[in-house]
Amino acid sequence: MIKVEDLTVAFGGLKAVKQVSLEIGDGEIFGVVGESGSGKSVTALAIMGLLNEEASVLSGRITMDGVTLLEAGRKRDKALYRKLQGSRMSMVFQEPMTSLNPTRRAGAQVEEVLRLHPEAWRDPAAPRERAGAVRRQMREKVLEMFSAVGLREPEKVYNSYPHQLSGGMRQRVMIAMAVILNPQLIVCDEPTTALDVTVQNQIIGLLKRINERQKNSMLFITHDLNLARRICDRVAVMKDGRVVETGRTGELFAAPREAYTRNLIEAVPTRMGRIGGERRIAAEKILEVKDLSVYYSDGSSRPFAGGGKQCAVSHATFDIRRGEVLGLVGESGCGKTSLSKAVLGMNRDIEGSVVHRTVRPQMIFQDPYSSLNPSRTVGWLLQEPLIARGRLDASQAMSRADREAAARDMLRRVGMEETYFDRKPSQLSGGQRQRVSIAQALITGPGLVIADEPVSALDVTMQRQILELMRALQEEMELSCLFISHDINVIYQMSDRIMVMKEGRILEIGEREEIFRDPKEEYTKQLLAES
Amino acid sequence: MRARKSRNNYLTVGLIMTTAAVCLAVLGVFWTPYSTTAMSAAEKFCAPSLRHLFGTDNYGRDIFSRVMKGMGTTTLIGSLVVLLSGSAGILIGALTGYCGGWIDEAVMRLTDAVNGFPSILLALVMITILGSGRQNLILSLGIVFAPSFIRIVRSEFIRLRDADYISRARMMGVGRGRILFVHILPNILSTFWVSVMIGFNNAILAESGMSYLGIGVKPPDASLGNMLSDAQGYLEMAPWYALAPGLAIVWIVLGISLFGEGIRRIPG
Repeated sequence: MIKVEDLTVAFGGLKAVKQVSLEIGDGEIFGVVGESGSGKSVTALAIMGLLNEEASVLSGRITMDGVTLLEAGRKRDKALYRKLQGSRMSMVFQEPMTSLNPTRRAGAQVEEVLRLHPEAWRDPAAPRERAGAVRRQMREKVLEMFSAVGLREPEKVYNSYPHQLSGGMRQRVMIAMAVILNPQLIVCDEPTTALDVTVQNQIIGLLKRINERQKNSMLFITHDLNLARRICDRVAVMKDGRVVETGRTGELFAAPREAYTRNLIEAVPTRMGRIGGERRIAAEKILEVKDLSVYYSDGSSRPFAGGGKQCAVSHATFDIRRGEVLGLVGESGCGKTSLSKAVLGMNRDIEGSVVHRTVRPQMIFQDPYSSLNPSRTVGWLLQEPLIARGRLDASQAMSRADREAAARDMLRRVGMEETYFDRKPSQLSGGQRQRVSIAQALITGPGLVIADEPVSALDVTMQRQILELMRALQEEMELSCLFISHDINVIYQMSDRIMVMKEGRILEIGEREEIFRDPKEEYTKQLLAES
Repeated sequence: MRARKSRNNYLTVGLIMTTAAVCLAVLGVFWTPYSTTAMSAAEKFCAPSLRHLFGTDNYGRDIFSRVMKGMGTTTLIGSLVVLLSGSAGILIGALTGYCGGWIDEAVMRLTDAVNGFPSILLALVMITILGSGRQNLILSLGIVFAPSFIRIVRSEFIRLRDADYISRARMMGVGRGRILFVHILPNILSTFWVSVMIGFNNAILAESGMSYLGIGVKPPDASLGNMLSDAQGYLEMAPWYALAPGLAIVWIVLGISLFGEGIRRIPG
């Protein structure tokens, strides 16, 4: 149905897509898998005719049912695309918050598609009707679509603004918009990446049902191999702008031909074995949390803005022993971050007790782009914790030369060369930044570290390396760690014990194997089943 | 990476214009072609010539020399005003932005109050109370311009105070002062410099305006504003008299504006 032949797209002198050929059959779900920068999104944009002016097509062409949409050396046919977009091909984006217009109601935005393409849903031979009647028909059609995509209260959603809807609901609205005219091709660019695991599964199920019912072709772009495996009929693996391997999903995953594909598949966290060897866990408790409740005020502390208190965490009790990794799993908004802030003493509005037997526990953040000061060099960043410690405790003060040596040593220990010492964060890749971030947290030997989704922002192969690094350092330094993640497989690989949280409560805590073999709570079972 | 196609012309032109003006002004402090105060009845209202580049004024003084001096006076006052209000902006803005709470609220309402009046009018009132003269002019313009700096610095500090890397600095036990001025400040400098440029231009225009009204720099000292004011009466007889200080003001303001825009466009 869609045929891409020998496509090369460049931005300036940089080729983002190199000689890509692929073919999507009728009713097929075709996956394109690759790490960030592999050219998968540019390929999708080229098919949708959404490449911007800076992109130049150097070779190849794209055809849909034999009609040429895009060809190297030919002017782009904007009129043709305007006719196709929305009615015969449509797109679901990653971030439903920014791809919906925040100032218009959800219903009106979906209706817009119907208004722009009357030929696609109304019989052109039918007599002209009054505007009111047409409006009523559109409204009915939208409401019908809303219930078809599993929105429970279509009327309410119809009249809601995007910010009044949850992430999952917004994505359902986006999908309704994409499929309402029953297009032949739906391009989904990381449609579930911004969503929680349970919601993610519902959306995947929905897309699959739509595909079965409407028989449209789907191009499914993702970095997540597990996802591709679950939904796609065929998969293409992309790397550095090229298609490395294409095949039926089952065959490709069972017997990958290319080394890169094999690496990619092996890097995906699974419940097979853990990272690192046997651990020495002492009996000594490094952190003891008793009956901890954490509150936040929903206004600020400003005097003219009143505001009530909300409970983010209620009655949490747990402990971490020396050298132990406690995995904390739960969805966004379950109180994971509030809990970790309270443990670090950054939130004072708490009840209960937090006792830790260590100096200044540290934190490793999720986003390596915002956790390093952009105006300082790596060397400066690594020395700053030592300076701060020296100022607080004169017995720990170090000379300039000692500090620099310690910083260089730490940089080496996180697997980076000394040449990075004088670079700024903007000159590093995401994985390198996360390494520096880890080095900065561990350089003072803090004893207790909270890692808040430390690998969620990274590509799978990078994820694996960072997890291994953390594990090695943790064993070497006898570090205790509260490891937070939404990915239960990552938790399995890293943790000794596991704690499951939902809506501010700890549902269960147990040894790793115990939780995985014999979960007590329904919610835990659900989490396990869905990953 | 892709080669940068557009060169930063704003920065180049702005820098050249500003440097030329500053050189002329600095030179004027030590040397001028003629005395700026010596009068000569014989050389009243000479038209621009090689002898007198911009001609002479109603007292026979060389306008070019006086423009050099005047530029010096005006840019010095402008710089001091910006130095005063800019440092107040950084100190107060950093503190209120980072700490928030009651202090923040109080300072913000105070700046609202200052902003509520036209700035020239407020400076006028202050000078009426304090008495005229350079120091008072600088002080009152400094006070009037401080709120805009406070607001800019404050909003930048609010934006950055909850950044992960700042939370992290707190966790390390870095002191508050060091967080404010070593961790956060370098990250707001590009924004701050742009507002300094704008503030400097406003200060120059305000100084000229006040001197024009006769409450800034007093004759016989030359400032671009009081020269304009003197020239007003002779607009038809000697148009070059008004043109020279006017062009000097435009030159400085334009140069600084382009320079500021150039800074803003530096990538990263």
